[in-house]
Amino acid sequence: MRATAVSGLVFANANDKLLKKLTENRSMASVPFGSRYRLIDFSLSNLVNAGITNVGLITTGNYRSLMDHVSNGIYWDLDRKNGGLHILAPYMASDIRRFRGTVDALNAATDFIERCESDYIVLCAGDILANVDVSDVINTHIESQADITLVYHKGMLPVNRADAMVFTFGESTNIKNISFDYSNESEQYYGIGITVIARELLSKLVRDAVEKDLESFNRDILAKKVNELKIMGYEHKEFITLMNGTDTYYNAHMALLDSNVRKELFNPERPIYTKTRDDMPTRYGVEADVKNSLIGNGCVIDGVVKNSILARGVKVGKGAVVENCILMQETRVGTDAKISNVIADKNVTIGEDMVIKGTTEKRVFINKNEII
Amino acid sequence: MLLAGGQGSRLGVLTSKIAKPAVPYGGKYRIIDFPLSNCANSGIDTVGILTQYKPLELNDYVGSGKPWDLDRSDGGVHILPPYQGLSGEGWYKGTANAIYQNLEFIARYDPEYVVILSGDHIYKMDYSKMVNQHIKDGAACTIAVLDVSLEEATRFGIMNTHEDGTIYEFEEKPAKPKSTLASMGIYVFSWDKLKYYLTEDEANPDSSNDFGKNIIPAMLNAGELLKVYRFNDYWKDVGTVDSLWEANLDLLNPKIDLNLSDRNWKVYSRSNSQPPQYVSGDAKVENSLVTDGCEIYGNLDYSVLFENVTVEEGASVEYSLVMPGAVIKKGAKVRYSIIAENVVVDENADIGGDPAVVGTEGWGITVVGENLTIGKNAKVSANKMITENVKEGEEI
Repeated sequence: MRATAVSGLVFANANDKLLKKLTENRSMASVPFGSRYRLIDFSLSNLVNAGITNVGLITTGNYRSLMDHVSNGIYWDLDRKNGGLHILAPYMASDIRRFRGTVDALNAATDFIERCESDYIVLCAGDILANVDVSDVINTHIESQADITLVYHKGMLPVNRADAMVFTFGESTNIKNISFDYSNESEQYYGIGITVIARELLSKLVRDAVEKDLESFNRDILAKKVNELKIMGYEHKEFITLMNGTDTYYNAHMALLDSNVRKELFNPERPIYTKTRDDMPTRYGVEADVKNSLIGNGCVIDGVVKNSILARGVKVGKGAVVENCILMQETRVGTDAKISNVIADKNVTIGEDMVIKGTTEKRVFINKNEII
Repeated sequence: MLLAGGQGSRLGVLTSKIAKPAVPYGGKYRIIDFPLSNCANSGIDTVGILTQYKPLELNDYVGSGKPWDLDRSDGGVHILPPYQGLSGEGWYKGTANAIYQNLEFIARYDPEYVVILSGDHIYKMDYSKMVNQHIKDGAACTIAVLDVSLEEATRFGIMNTHEDGTIYEFEEKPAKPKSTLASMGIYVFSWDKLKYYLTEDEANPDSSNDFGKNIIPAMLNAGELLKVYRFNDYWKDVGTVDSLWEANLDLLNPKIDLNLSDRNWKVYSRSNSQPPQYVSGDAKVENSLVTDGCEIYGNLDYSVLFENVTVEEGASVEYSLVMPGAVIKKGAKVRYSIIAENVVVDENADIGGDPAVVGTEGWGITVVGENLTIGKNAKVSANKMITENVKEGEEI
């Protein structure tokens, strides 16, 4: 396949409201995750690991932190002369309005879709926490001669996410029905937000939808055309979390403490790339006592850390105790401070002797840059 | 101009396949990161890297110079290997000859001053301060020096100076040092002087074409103004197994000021994307430096772990360096050792010796060369250089 035979198109702002304070000043795609990543790293890496070198990133709002993170795409090898990363930011026009749904977003990406000259396009949500073999999805799509291939996972449906699709299959993996009924509380086959489609078909579907003033690509197009088009499913069997609230966010972190989850999510055959920071390795002091924790580079640990995720550059002072916490970049925990069940956003300072105790039912969230 | 062609033969198996500047250091660095980061931080954006011995890994590592912000459209980083020509060009015969063969490269940039560096040392230094002093002094050459102890002075090139820092004599490894100012192998030359003396030196068939042995004495004889530039911070030559080991463990010493993530003077490196490090519920990690991608289930004390190292349950690593990708399997013991890249230390193997237990006589750091396997229950004693696989149960 030629280098530009497949292009990627990533939606950065889907589900922005679900993580509350974490997405107050950033898009869902740029929410920090797993000590050194942002959620977008997984989708960008999945695309790049499939050999895709031309990627459009659709953003609508709140994207300063996202721009800061993705830069010119260099960390994903997307700083290219041909193709590379294209930021599809909204521009001032007479009919400016916020996107009502995916159709508006895709319409805003018309130029990218028309000009990219690829045979296929992979549509991808910017907040899929999974390591997906997109190359295999594309090959399966081509072999099955499907019009559209949707990647799905079997499990408990992550509720509250916009336009989450529940599938019923006909013959083999042919999708027979797409439903938006979330009342069933058992395991289901649900779409994870990756779609492979021929570029010309996408272009046509979007044009038609715009003419008819439709809003949702999933609801108004896919679900309606399920019998008209050949829509196939591709199962992603490995670890996945689709964020739909702070509990899933916290639980997905704790899942990383399981080595099997790490093996799937950080599969060395398909590495997850992220912005580099040039930190030195983490220093464990003489009195450090670290158990069952995931830790980024650049930390200095002199206290106790248990069942926690520490991002890059976190400092834990002598006598301090950190338990069941997620501490983001540059959090400083002062001498003899005791914190548990805390999620601290970037650059938080917790003073000496401070005691902050959340519970599993009610975790304490500390805003970015706060000094306590 | 960064001299990076040295073999570093005293590092034994660690440099059997790579040049010394490419030797891993400090968990995620290579030795060459220090001069390159110093250049970038000092505002030097044109750097020639002279390579000769085993350059593959080094070339690969430096690449376009991007990690050090040295990928420039004007200047930037240039790898300068020896080349053939019509007037006797060829292998670099010595440090001076290496620069001589690249005078054309320097001339392209029409500089006023040239900084000559070596790729063998761990230190953070602002070269621009040294260049400024050189300009102020109006010197032909300025040499960076470190004040060492009288005992150490016998192992260095020593500068004998007047009170104002003017050099009147250079002595290589003097038996009875007259001064304790040791050359750090860092020179600032005025470009016209450098060109003149390198050309003169090349015309002398008896010269060994070395900066210390030939160029500096020749300049002194001719009455040129040579000055010292005093440097007082951390500096370490990592030319031997012991000094490499020591320089790594220096990063764990709170009394030694070598902060590599200082925002005002970062040391940059080419980093691979590795997941965060994991420390298990049974692990015990104390006084150690651990890098992204490591999985620790055993015990660590006074050690530096590079990227992607695995230490399994019940294994212990003490006073050691474990380089990228190595695996220390269940129950294995590693102490006072350097374990090179991708080594597998199989279950219950026992490597290296504690000087407090085995005695200091004949004691030394044990080194295991890259990609080797140390078999189950094998025992490798202190002060060994392992270059071949060690079989199960074997004792060395």
